[in-house]
Amino acid sequence: MSPMAVPIADYVGLSAVIFFIGVAGVIVRRNPLIMLMSIELMFNAANLLFIAFSRAWLHNAGHIFAFLVITVAAAEAAIGLAIVVTVFRTSRHVDVDDIALMKG
Amino acid sequence: MPVHHVMGNEGNYPYLLALWLLPLAGAIVNWAFGPQLKSAAGALGSAAIGVAFVATVLMWGAATQSVPSTGGVNLVGAHQTLFSWLPGFDFGLLMDPLSLLWALIITGVGFLIHVYSIGYMDGDNAFARFFAYMNFFVFAMLTLVLSDNFVGLLIGWGLVGLASYFLIGFWFFKPSAVAAARKAFVLNVVGDVGIMFAIFMIFASVHSTGFGDAFAFAGSYNTGWLFAICLTLFIGAAAKSAQIPLQTWLPDAMEGPTPVSALIHAATMVTAGVYLIARCAPLWSQNQDAQMLVGVIGALTALLGAILGCAQWDIKRILAYSTMSQIGYMIMGVGVGAYEGGVAHFFTHAFFKAQLFLGSGIIIHALNNEQDVRRMGGLIKTMPFAFVAMLTGVIAISGIPYLGSGFFSKDLVIQGALQHGHPWLYAIALITAGITAYYMCRMLFVTFLGQYRGNVDPSDLGIRHPELAGTSAHAAEHDEVHAHAPAWLMNVPVGILIVPTVLIGWLMFGGENSPWAHFFAQQFPHPALPAAPISETLTAVIAFALVIVGIAIAWARYGVAPAQQNAVERLRQESVRMPAVLTNAFYFDYAIDWLFVRTSQLLGTLFGRFLDPQVIDGAVRETAFSAQWLGTLVRSFQTGLLRTYAFLLVIGATCFMVYYAVAMGAAK
Amino acid sequence: MIVLALVLLPILAGIIMLLIPAREENPVLAKGAGTVIALIEFALALGARDSEFSLRPWLSRPFESSFHFGATGISFWIVLLLAVVTFSAILAMSVPRQRQFVAQMLLLEGTMMGVFLAKDLLLFALFWDLMLLPVFFGLLGWGEHPATAWRYFIYNFAGGLALLLATATFGVLFGSTDVIGRTDVHVVGSWVPWIFIGFAFAFLVKTPVWPLHTWMPPTYSNTPPPMVAVVSAVQSKAGLYGLIVICMAFMPDYLKAYAGVLIVLGVISLLYGAVVSLVQNDTKRIVAYSSLSHLGLIVVAICSFNAIALQGALIYIIAHGLFSAGMFLTLGYVEAREDTRSLVRLGGLGAVNPKLAGALCITSLAALGLPGLAGFVGEIVILTGVFQAGFIWVTILALIPIVIAAAYMLRLFQGVMNGPEVEDLPVRRDLTWLEGIALAPIVLALVVLGVNPHALTTFDPAQYNATQTQVAQGVAR
Repeated sequence: MSPMAVPIADYVGLSAVIFFIGVAGVIVRRNPLIMLMSIELMFNAANLLFIAFSRAWLHNAGHIFAFLVITVAAAEAAIGLAIVVTVFRTSRHVDVDDIALMKG
Repeated sequence: MPVHHVMGNEGNYPYLLALWLLPLAGAIVNWAFGPQLKSAAGALGSAAIGVAFVATVLMWGAATQSVPSTGGVNLVGAHQTLFSWLPGFDFGLLMDPLSLLWALIITGVGFLIHVYSIGYMDGDNAFARFFAYMNFFVFAMLTLVLSDNFVGLLIGWGLVGLASYFLIGFWFFKPSAVAAARKAFVLNVVGDVGIMFAIFMIFASVHSTGFGDAFAFAGSYNTGWLFAICLTLFIGAAAKSAQIPLQTWLPDAMEGPTPVSALIHAATMVTAGVYLIARCAPLWSQNQDAQMLVGVIGALTALLGAILGCAQWDIKRILAYSTMSQIGYMIMGVGVGAYEGGVAHFFTHAFFKAQLFLGSGIIIHALNNEQDVRRMGGLIKTMPFAFVAMLTGVIAISGIPYLGSGFFSKDLVIQGALQHGHPWLYAIALITAGITAYYMCRMLFVTFLGQYRGNVDPSDLGIRHPELAGTSAHAAEHDEVHAHAPAWLMNVPVGILIVPTVLIGWLMFGGENSPWAHFFAQQFPHPALPAAPISETLTAVIAFALVIVGIAIAWARYGVAPAQQNAVERLRQESVRMPAVLTNAFYFDYAIDWLFVRTSQLLGTLFGRFLDPQVIDGAVRETAFSAQWLGTLVRSFQTGLLRTYAFLLVIGATCFMVYYAVAMGAAK
Repeated sequence: MIVLALVLLPILAGIIMLLIPAREENPVLAKGAGTVIALIEFALALGARDSEFSLRPWLSRPFESSFHFGATGISFWIVLLLAVVTFSAILAMSVPRQRQFVAQMLLLEGTMMGVFLAKDLLLFALFWDLMLLPVFFGLLGWGEHPATAWRYFIYNFAGGLALLLATATFGVLFGSTDVIGRTDVHVVGSWVPWIFIGFAFAFLVKTPVWPLHTWMPPTYSNTPPPMVAVVSAVQSKAGLYGLIVICMAFMPDYLKAYAGVLIVLGVISLLYGAVVSLVQNDTKRIVAYSSLSHLGLIVVAICSFNAIALQGALIYIIAHGLFSAGMFLTLGYVEAREDTRSLVRLGGLGAVNPKLAGALCITSLAALGLPGLAGFVGEIVILTGVFQAGFIWVTILALIPIVIAAAYMLRLFQGVMNGPEVEDLPVRRDLTWLEGIALAPIVLALVVLGVNPHALTTFDPAQYNATQTQVAQGVAR
């Protein structure tokens, strides 16, 4: 007997939708801030799954992982923003397609 | 390990060691202290050989003593073990009648030629170097004939080749001498390699290279194996003794100073092949095919050499071809099994051919290195001594009965061929005897009769390339007048040589009771032979008849009065009309050149210029290029754009997911 | 301790020489110091026979490894050869930036000492890679084309990599790499063929054997003469040494399985090197290709699995080291005088330089296998064994290059020394005293070993029936 009113499949479906919105954001948008936000979306899709399954299986590991992901996401956002600011300072605008220093 | 079979009486023979090592000592002293010794080098070098000769004579008794029989192998002589080279490769000295004979000639005739050289080489820049090489040659040749095993023999074999190389190329500023020296050496290495292969076969059979071991088992080799051993040994003999098809180096070797030609390319080194076959008589006697092969090659070489001798103008080349031809006789003799005959011809030939060369050396020396007989003529008046020397030599080599030593020994060879059942070789040998008489008399008449032609324009004599004809190598040095060494230094050795040239053949007279047969009674196998269909006397008569015909033709062409008067025109005619096949010596040089030399050069060029840089390195380069190409390909994915990377990431992740979905679906 | 000193002394001396701040160059002092060290090395090498040094364990996981050196069996002779050749090479050389060059020579000597003295496979592999470096720097700094240096390095380092992988696998499988000279080593498992192939590849590249040889002719012709003398004399023997003391001693079954292929490659090298030598015009390239030919013969000897052939191979390893060093040094003297290596340009030097001519003559005669000199002993003993092992056609094919060798060696000697004098050659002077002393030990050894090679042999007639593996194990013991 599941302790959940909403079936698990709905959580998975919602998470997948959020995740692909994030993916599409990263691929399509050229503004690094939007891209960072899209990455956050993907993180949150994963978090949603962690929490949903944690609840479904009555196991706390999912909660712990969700906290870990939030922490990493915060760090990542901090570093990402720092990079964006640095790039903005040197090139005066923030279009990721203009930054191709790693071109082989 | 099998028991070693030692030949001869084991013991300590100080004379043997002395005669072997003295020439080496002479060579080292002359080589190291040449500049200090100056003209004493010649005396020192000659003295070393002279003392060695005395020591050889003192070894006579020990070398001819017989040994209490211990089974099978020949048992006469003196043996001294020296040291073990490697396990199975023991080294020692063996002196039995065969090697005694060779040692006597090497040191005896060698000594006379050394003394002669003091006069001949006087004033040369490298006087001491010459005697160092000559002494070294004597040492090497003694190593060859005194060794008691095949490896020692091969060492001597290689070292005489080296001495010959040095002495042919003695005037190394002459390109022709340099080329001749190289040719002689390389062709002789072919022979060395043949002997090496024989050594491998012998070693594989008896685990030893000693003569005693090899001969003790001579009967136990299978026929094909034994034939292969004899064949490869004969490759060595053919190369050293200028037998077909390895003969082409000998005429070119005349680039060396004349005493060298006398000692190395007539009397001793080139007869090493005869020595080898005589030494290996126990092997040859077991194999009919090998005997046949060697007999035929010997006879053909005798004939070919004689024919080519008729077409030469350079006095030394005439003698060179005659040497080739006479060695053909010897090889034929020892090949068919007439060992005493073949060795006898070596013995007499050493004297008369050395004398002919030294005689021609007197002429060449007097005429400032002129060697072309067309530019001589009438020398009988100015050089009577040289004429006597050449005449006795010609009589001996032509085989005029009882007057010269060559008759006796040649008769032994010719009759031996018949006795051992080779009538065709007998016939060839007889015909060759006639041709020999012809070309030797031709040389004699053209050189000594008529008028002196040295002042005639070379082109009037049909000499196309005067600068190529004859060795006017150090003519420049001789243009400046310098005091010649006393003539007696050159004349006395020649005079001494005349005595054996005329008389020594009598040793061989008397068939089985002759001193010669007695000397070798214990040396060679003596199978019982059926009586020859033609008696010895009749053979001598036939031979003499052919010799007379040869002399008569030579006299008619060069000796009669009209020929003498029109000599210039006649010689020009003959030179111009000489068939190309003879002037090119039956094209052996071309054949060897095209078949081997050019082929290997072509291969070398192909490999060095094409295969190495293009194919092998090409493959290596292609490997490097393909790595580079792969890099270029992968590089195009590295756009540097964040979104591309993200996109690729998504595609990759999607692929994984699809794969796992499919795999899981399949698993269910 | 002596062996440790043999390895470390030149390495330390070389490093110190490199590190000295170079305010004032003193080439004579540098050469003098190098000569003294080489001489000390020679004295040490003379006294090193059978001495060992071991520090164990050097490494205990994942396999046991010891810092273990020993001058036993053939190692002793090769080390002696290395000491002599290095001494000769340093004594009479003259190159620009002499101090650095002497340092490289000493480093080369020390690292090669390490290769031939190492009793531990890991140590062997380590020094194997280290000995490439001095030659690499020598080629970069003193060679004519830097590309040659890279070619040398990449080829040999690829071999070194294979060697290292094979060593590691060997160590993991057997548990220890302290094995050279041991007789109780027997590795089994499905990995052994790969170990064998790894070792064999490294050794065949180093030797070299056709078709892995194309790094060698440019390397030999571009390296300065003193260094190439040491490289061709000793470094090229590392592969053959490894083939004997590692492949044959530990993996005889696999060596036997691949012997057919190796013999074919050896025979191809023999013939190929000989005919290519025949048409080269660069004197050093002639000797380089002749080395390909001569070393092919040793590969054939090793793979024939015959005790006599192996004995011959040991003699020939030393003999080839002596005469190739002698030839490269002498040709170096010629090059230093005439500024050319081309046979087209050279000629007629013998008349003014008789001693130089004598030196080149005796070394080239030894190279062409003149009876009475060391090269001949090796050739005849090897081929006697190869024939006895039943490889009749191989023997016949191996005899052909002997004839060709006579042709190309005489072409080389006569092309440089004989013939009419060439007018526009800057003829300087005959062999100096120093050069004479440098060549003397080499020539002397060639003659002594030619007359009495017994000193070099390590086996007795009873061993005629021994298997070659037993002999090979005995060689390193």
